[in-house]
Order: sequence, then C-alpha cells, then structure tokens
Amino acid sequence: MKKKHGFGLLARQKAAGWGFLAPASLLIFVMSFYPMVKAFITSLQTGPAAKLAWADPIFKNYTRMFNDKVFLTAMGNTFLYLLIQVPVMLILAILLAQLLNNKDLKLRGLFRTLIFLPCATALVSYSLIFKTLFANEGLINSFLKGIGIIQENVNWLGQSDTAKAVIIIALLWRWTGYNMVFFLAGLQNIEYSVYEAANIDGASGWKTFWHITVPLLRPVIVMTGIMSINGTLQLFDESVNLTNGGPANATITMSHYIYNNALGQGVANFGYASALSFIVFIMVAILAFINLKVGDTRD
Amino acid sequence: MTKKILALMLALCMLLAVSAAMAEKLTVTAWDANFNGNALQAAADDYKANVDPEFELEINIVSGSSDVENDITNAGSSGDYSLLSDIVLFQDRYIKNFVENYPDAWVDLEDAGINWDDITAVKQSYSTINGKHYGAPVDNGTCIMAYRVDLLEQAGYKIEDMKGITWEKFLEIGKEVYAKTGKALLSMDGSGNDLPYIMLQGEGVSLWKEGKPFIVGNEKLKRVVELLIEMEKEHVLILSNDWTGYTNETIMQDQVAGVLNGNWIIPTMTQVEANSGKWQITSMPTLDGGEGFATNGGSSLYVTGNCKNPELAKKFLAYTFGGSKQTYDEALRKGGVVTCCISAGQSEVYGEGVPFFNNQPVYKDITEMGSKIIPIEESPFHYVLRGYLGTAMQQIKDGADIDAALQEAQDATTFYMEGMGY
Amino acid sequence: MTNTAIRRKPAVSHIQRKLIPAYIFLTIMSFLSVFPLYWMFTAATNTSLEVAQGKIWFGSYLSENYKNLIDQQNLWQAMGNSFFYAAVQTLATLLICSLAGYGFELYHDKGKDRLFAILLLAMMVPQVATLIPLFTMISQMKMLNTVWAFIIPGLATPFMIMMFRQNSRNFPIDTMEAARIDGLSEIGIFFRMYFPMMKSTYAASAVIVFMNAWNAYMWPRTVMKGNAVQTMPMLIANMSNGYAVDYGMLMLGVLFCSLPTIIVFFVLQKQFAEGITGSVK
Repeated sequence: MKKKHGFGLLARQKAAGWGFLAPASLLIFVMSFYPMVKAFITSLQTGPAAKLAWADPIFKNYTRMFNDKVFLTAMGNTFLYLLIQVPVMLILAILLAQLLNNKDLKLRGLFRTLIFLPCATALVSYSLIFKTLFANEGLINSFLKGIGIIQENVNWLGQSDTAKAVIIIALLWRWTGYNMVFFLAGLQNIEYSVYEAANIDGASGWKTFWHITVPLLRPVIVMTGIMSINGTLQLFDESVNLTNGGPANATITMSHYIYNNALGQGVANFGYASALSFIVFIMVAILAFINLKVGDTRD
Repeated sequence: MTKKILALMLALCMLLAVSAAMAEKLTVTAWDANFNGNALQAAADDYKANVDPEFELEINIVSGSSDVENDITNAGSSGDYSLLSDIVLFQDRYIKNFVENYPDAWVDLEDAGINWDDITAVKQSYSTINGKHYGAPVDNGTCIMAYRVDLLEQAGYKIEDMKGITWEKFLEIGKEVYAKTGKALLSMDGSGNDLPYIMLQGEGVSLWKEGKPFIVGNEKLKRVVELLIEMEKEHVLILSNDWTGYTNETIMQDQVAGVLNGNWIIPTMTQVEANSGKWQITSMPTLDGGEGFATNGGSSLYVTGNCKNPELAKKFLAYTFGGSKQTYDEALRKGGVVTCCISAGQSEVYGEGVPFFNNQPVYKDITEMGSKIIPIEESPFHYVLRGYLGTAMQQIKDGADIDAALQEAQDATTFYMEGMGY
Repeated sequence: MTNTAIRRKPAVSHIQRKLIPAYIFLTIMSFLSVFPLYWMFTAATNTSLEVAQGKIWFGSYLSENYKNLIDQQNLWQAMGNSFFYAAVQTLATLLICSLAGYGFELYHDKGKDRLFAILLLAMMVPQVATLIPLFTMISQMKMLNTVWAFIIPGLATPFMIMMFRQNSRNFPIDTMEAARIDGLSEIGIFFRMYFPMMKSTYAASAVIVFMNAWNAYMWPRTVMKGNAVQTMPMLIANMSNGYAVDYGMLMLGVLFCSLPTIIVFFVLQKQFAEGITGSVK
C-alpha cells in the first residue's frame, strides 16, 4: 500500500493506522464473529450432530427454551450469582484498594500480593481445594464446630442454599483481588491532594469513600462491572467442577447447561445449545450496554 | 526467538512424521492411568512378547470417558477424524448412537477372529449393532456387594446371612448395624444415582421401554426409590454430594460397612489398608428375595476410522483382550481390571484368594456373577435419564412428592429427546 | 507511587493506631486468600488418605509423591509444553494486540472508534457457542495438534486491545510528529519509540495473557490430542478423574501447575501494577 504513488502524507498515516489494527480486527472477525454466525445458523437446525436439518418451525429451538424447566432454573441461578456476587465483590475490592492506597500503611506491597494471588491459581486446583475445604468432614466444618457456631456438620455442597453460597464464596475468593488491582490502579491516578482536602474538611472515612473515591473511580467501576457481568453470565467452571450443577440443578449455570446440551452425555443437541448460547450473548450485550449508559450519564 | 520456535516446530513435525512411518505402532486413548492404562500396558507387553517384538502401543491418557466421547462428537460433526487415536476406549452405552450418527468413524470387529461365545452376554449386548460386533471388551462392570464382616458380626450377622435376602431385610440389618457400629450399610453418589439403576437391574427391569423412558408407571423403580429414601432416613444409606464425596468420605474415611458398585470400586476400597482382611463380597439383595446381579460402568475398545492399520488393530485386540490369559492376569494384578472373558476368568490368578477380602477369591466370584447378569433394554440417553433421576432423588429426599418428582424426571428426559427429534 | 518515604511527622504512632482496624481487616483477607494455597502446599507432602481426611500440617510424603508423579505422568514434558505454548501465545498476542491498541488510539478517527465498539462485542461471545465451529475451522486449516491451534483463538482479544489502547493515551503525540520529521516510518515509530516506552504495559499484559494461556483447558483439550502435546491443566484433570485418585500426588501436580503463574506474577508485579494503572486512566 505504501508503495502507491500519489499518496499524501496524511493518507499514508491513515493507511498505517488501519494497517496496525487490521490483523487483530481480522482475527476477531474470523475467530469470534464468524463462528457466532455459524452458531446462529446451527441454532435454526435440529437433530444429531451429523444429520442436522432445518427446524420446523424455524425458531423451534428458541420457543422451546421457555418450556425448559432446567434452563429456566439455570437462568435464575445465574442471575442470583450476578446480583449477589458482583456487587459484593466490587465493593469489597474498592474497599481493599482504598485501604491499600493509604500511604501510611506499612506492608502494602505484601498485602496486595497476597490478596491478588488466588487468581493466579489454576482453575482445576482451585475447585479441588474448595471442594475439599467444604467437604462434610472438611476443614470449614471442623473450624466452625471448634468455635461453637455449629453443632453438627453442615453439608455445604449438598443443600441448595449453601451450595449456591459456596459457589459465590469461591468466586469472591478468586476474583476480588484481581478487581482490587484495577481499583488500586485507578486510585493511584487520583491526586492525593483530593483526600488531604477532604481530611481537612473533617469528612469521615466513609464519607470520603462514598463521596470522593467511588465517583472518581466510576470509569474503572464500569470496566470491572462489564468484565464481571460478562464473566458471571458465562460462568461455567465453578458450576461444573465444584458442584456439577447439583444438588438437583440448584447451582447449575446457563453455560453449564449449554455445555451439557452441546457435548455432555454423548447425545449432543447442537441446534438447541447454539440457540441457548445466542440468548446468553444477547443478555450479556444488553447488560453491558446498560452498564455503559449508566456510567456515562453521570459524567 | 523466532528461530528457536521454528526449530521446535520443525522438531515437532519430524516427530509426527516418524510416528506415522512406523507401521507396527498403534495409538490408543483411554482414561485412568492406573486402571485402564495398566490394562492396556499389560496387553501391549503381552503382544510384544508373544506375537510381534516390533509392536508398540502409545497410550494417551485423558481425564475421562467424556473426553473421548467429546472428541468423537467433535470429529463426527466436523468430519475430521484425524485427532482420534487408532483405538479409543469409552463407556459401553454410547457406541450404538455413535455408529448410527457417524458410521464411517468405526471399523467393525467381525473378521477379527474373536471368540464371542467366550465374552459375557451382557457385555456383547452393548456393542453389537445390527448384528455386527464393534467393541473389544476391557473391564467388566459387574457389581459387587461388599460387606465389612467384622462390623456385621458386631450386629450378630455373617456374610452368608446377606446372600439372597430382600432389600427390606437389608434395611432391618442396616438399622442394627448402625445402632451397634454407627456405620451405614451403603452409600451412593447422590448426583450420579448409581443405586436405583443397579438395584433395578437386579430385578431384570430397565429404565427404558420400547425406546421411551420408563420412569412413570415403573412400580419396581418406585419401590426402589422409596426404599432408598427410607434407608437414608434410617442412616442405613449415606447420600454423598458427588463422586469425590462418595469415594473420599464414605469409603476412604471409613463411614460405611457396605459398598455396592461396579467392581472397579475395589481399588478405592483397598486404599484403606487398615481394613484389609475385613471385607468380603457377595451378590446383592433383591426386592422379593433371591440373588441380584447387575453391571455398572465398564467400557470397551473401539477401532476408529482414523486407524492407519486396522488389520493390526484387530489382530492386537483379538489376541489380547479377545481372551489372552496373560493380558488379563497382568491387567488384574497391576490395575485391578476384571475381565468379562469367561475363560480368562478361570485362570489361576483369578482363583487366588485376595488378602484384602479375607482371602476370598473375589475375582473368580466376580466373573461368575458377571455371567449371570440379564441384559436389559438400553438407550443412548441412558445418562441423560440418570441425571434427571438423580435430580428427582434429591428432590424426594428434601421432601418432594415421589410421584411428582418422578413425573418431572420422565418429562425432562422426554423433553430432551424430543429436542433431538426422537 | 511517587512518595513512598515514611513521613516523619510526630503523629506517626497516632496514625498507625488509627490504622489498626485496617491492619486487622487486611490480615484476615490475606489469610483467607492464602490459606487455600497453603493447604495446597501441605497436601503435596501428605498421603492420599491424609489429604482426603483434611490434614492441614506438612507431612513427610513429598518425595514419595514426587516419585509417583514422575513415574506415572509425563510431568516435565507437560510443563515444557505448557511453557512453550504459553510463551508463544504471550509473545504473539502482545504483538498483535499492542499494534491494534496503538492503531486505535494514536490514529483514531470515527471509523476506527466504531470498529472498536464492534470488536468489544466479541468479549461477550460465549465460548461454548463457538467451540464446534472453531474446531471445524482449525481442522480445515490443518492446524489440529499444532501450536497454532492452541494460540489462534486467543491471538486478538478485545480486552487486550483495550488495555493497550488505554495505556497508549500516555504516549506523547508530539514525539511522534518529531520522529516523522526525522524520517522514521510509521512502523519504525512503533518499534523504536512506542515499544520501549510501554514496557510496564507489556509486562502487565504479559502477566494476564500468560496466566490465561497457562491455565487454559477447554479449548486446548479440544484441539490437542496425545501425550506429546499434553499441557499441565490436562495432566491434572487426567489425574483427578481416575477410579481411585491419589490425592497427595495430585496436589503435588497442582502445585507444579500453579507455581509458574505465581512466579511470573512475583517477578513482574511492579510493572504489572504500573501497567494496570495506565489502563484505567
């Protein structure tokens, strides 16, 4: 392109700009959007993998999911995780970041590293660790019995409410530190003088937090918010590895159910699985859009 | 850096080229290095020593049968079989579905020269499609009902007393055992729901009827479910949350006086060395009395359409898993893999007393029990149904109405099958 | 970041006293964060039965576990594979995404901004949905079982492009102009000026990409078959699903699988913090 004669300097710069982003953009189109289009076509088909045929009526896979009790349960579970885990995690992460941003605090680096470490652990290991900790005769039960909070072992992963709680705890454990790092970075971009001014005005710690820190961090909150919403709506590994969706589908997530339909149990229903994942895609996109809009208008 | 990468890639390509050039080599994919891996190694050693010294078997271990099943689904739906090994191992129930959907992904074993009369009927029933044999047997999923003899004794019973009883009687004894020893007589992975399936099989009843799920209206199933729920209430049965809970807690942490499952559960039991000599096995009870026999799990080897040398693969399978005493003896010694080949089960190694089981020749007993299992109707949707049945069990345990929960399981399975055009 | 010296005011002890709740809270959080990892270490030194029974102290079975692991699994080959794939992935992804981030930010115009917004949608495409179409595509390209199959879907991710795009805002446009007048080509500016200036962004991104690539399971599992290409997460998954699992040995494997990412983070943590800081400006 550069060799062409008659190209002005500006035009050449412009071409260079497109040249820089072309490989990545092309890759994303080929590796994400094209398969998604294919998945959409598949979502209009039905039958075993090798003999897919057009569904009749054509949107059968889409209308079908409204009668699918397991999918509706999975959707409920996923949104419950979203509503509890994401806010708790983000607030906790901001709080930790706020504490660690205090220049008077000693051992900041050590605290930061330790709290970040969980997200460096491989997924297979982390689910294994949590399963063992929350087992009937596991450490959590012995500890709680030891300090007298419970009298009998709690079957954490065997009851629907506690199993959901364990999944949320596991997610909090793994991702709070990760998000904290982003908030910490955001805080470091805020001038320290803003806080000193607040201190002189006699604002309490909480007041400073809610009225200065949170508003200034809004762009970071929007970013981490989108990442977390996306991650939670597509939650898969924890459901598969920690509880296998049980007991009685009480913890199964949408992605887990899609996977069960696509590959699990040897009898794959690709058409239906594709339709389900398309719906998840639309949900994520809508929520991300709302998140962006809310983040914007307050600016 | 790029040079190094290039060099590495080149090395990789050469490796691949070399492996393709060797004709006497086969690849196989299986899961569980200690169990299936050892069995395959035993077969490879046997073939190498007695048939072809040039022979080589590359064993690829994956994390489970589902990995192999996913590979086949991927390969079948993309039409690219190149990632499939020459031979693959997976659970017995899927082959029918796979042959139906991807017929050219398989090579049948009709002309392999295996003496099928020597393989148990129930094993053959899984992998015979339209009269053609596809699967070479590896392990035998025959169920064992194992009891802790010392704990039974404390409650005033002997192992002989447990043979041929009804499940009601089992429940009574279980209550006494729990009262005397604090241990349950049975445990199960609550999400895997092995027990209803196993117990029903002992009655010769299937969860399927003419290709449709047979949950609602299946009186024996309802009785079995009611019994299990009752057992759980009386501390005779521990329902674990998942497989790890079943193996690690109930069996390895010594919470049970009885184990009922496919005999591949034995390596888990023997990990608790302190209990060596205290266990013995027998057949399981039935609803109306008499001995019950069943099978659970178990898998077979299949030659894939990607196999470069199907003749060698067939020869290898026929010689080894087709009935070689050496293969099966070694597979048993090293991996605890029990044959479903009748003649191989009569070898000396099988007849030896096993110290862990109070010197009972359990392996001979298992192969004998295996030959008494009645084949029942199966379906590719077997595990789909069992998943929903497990959900129903958990709901009933938590107080749901039994008929409503079973109806839901029936509906959910039907819903799944309808979505696939069945 | 700029003022790390302890401030010598008379009120230091008073300030520290006020911080006591913060110290307590942070200590508890750190403990909760690290405890499961500590348990992973101890479990690697215990027997299978002890692990299953939840023992929390160090045992004496480490060498035995190691011996079993080496005997039964191709540990070092899997470590080598994982390292090779993750390293190639990191290098390639950083190059492609930094080029894109640089292009989107420093050459930005309406068209590019719009394209960027569209690309962000890719973040929301569920992995389960694209698994089969991607597999078919890779198989048609004859890349199955090669390093390409491993890295291609992760070469360009919206998140990484965004990371570089945000950080590029710190890159002074005036210097670009000066460089152009000096006759440096556009690509020359990227490699000679942008690249050295953005070291901490590269470091932060490297940590994230490496971690994700090292821990990747579902996709590699789909396109890579056989012992020769096995990665660490596959090895662990394979060990953890047998009929009778040796938990001591398994936890040692888990430890081996976790160490590299932890080490990478420790080595690069200063640059990591700086790079992330640039991304949220």
